[in-house]
Amino acid sequence: MTMVWTTWIILGGMASAIGVALSLAGLLLRPEEDALTIRIESLLPQTQCAQCGYPGCRPYAQAIAQGDAPVNRCPPGGQALIEQLAGMLGLEVQTLDPHYGEEPSVPQRAQINESRCIGCALCLKACPVDAIIGAPRFMHTVIADQCTGCALCIAPCPVDCISLHADETPRWQWPLPQLAKLRSVP
Amino acid sequence: MLRVEAAYAMPDEQIIIRLELKEGSTVHDVLEQSELLQRYPEINATDSAIGIYGRVVPLDHPIRDGDRVEIYRPLTIDPKIERRSRSRRSA
Repeated sequence: MTMVWTTWIILGGMASAIGVALSLAGLLLRPEEDALTIRIESLLPQTQCAQCGYPGCRPYAQAIAQGDAPVNRCPPGGQALIEQLAGMLGLEVQTLDPHYGEEPSVPQRAQINESRCIGCALCLKACPVDAIIGAPRFMHTVIADQCTGCALCIAPCPVDCISLHADETPRWQWPLPQLAKLRSVP
Repeated sequence: MLRVEAAYAMPDEQIIIRLELKEGSTVHDVLEQSELLQRYPEINATDSAIGIYGRVVPLDHPIRDGDRVEIYRPLTIDPKIERRSRSRRSA
């Protein structure tokens, strides 16, 4: 009879010890970020344009990962993104939901009409990627390389001096070390 | 080390230079090291300004890691005159 009790005590003790250890591990070793969210976000275009109805690409990725949002709400990502996301998540391929906008045919860049800019700095605050250089009562300029064409700066401008254009900006690269070398040549 | 950017933007060309400066450096040190003022002699002290992320700061302002030190160009119009002429047009 003692043998049966000993077995129960040993097995019960093991079960509760493992249970406690597992729940502690679950609390302490929780992954910092949801791996699925990161994988989804890495596919999103990072325009931070909020056209999907979420404040940026990261929150939209979270919503998709949690199953709260469908994958067809990203106009800049377009059909290619929908196919990639559907493939990754094993979902049926849908078309872009027209309620959230149309897929742009070419990448867009914002441009400021300098003869109208009054230096109000409202577009600086609207830009989700800090791609506008300027300060109150000074000229504002779009950094073409960093502009995602999200159009969020257009509505806040009180003098309508910002417009979107097809991206034809040359990509300037400034290799500073080489310039420094040139300067040292007598 | 403080990692900062020095930026000067024109409509068709924007220059962003990444720099590393020692702790305690100022906006002035960033400008010196960026050599932007030498490269763009049209920048002058009377109608330009220096700032960090849209806020004008004095030259002796200490920089922090991640700052973007920006050189601002003057406006091409006077906002007050422009507003007057706009209201006259719409009236």
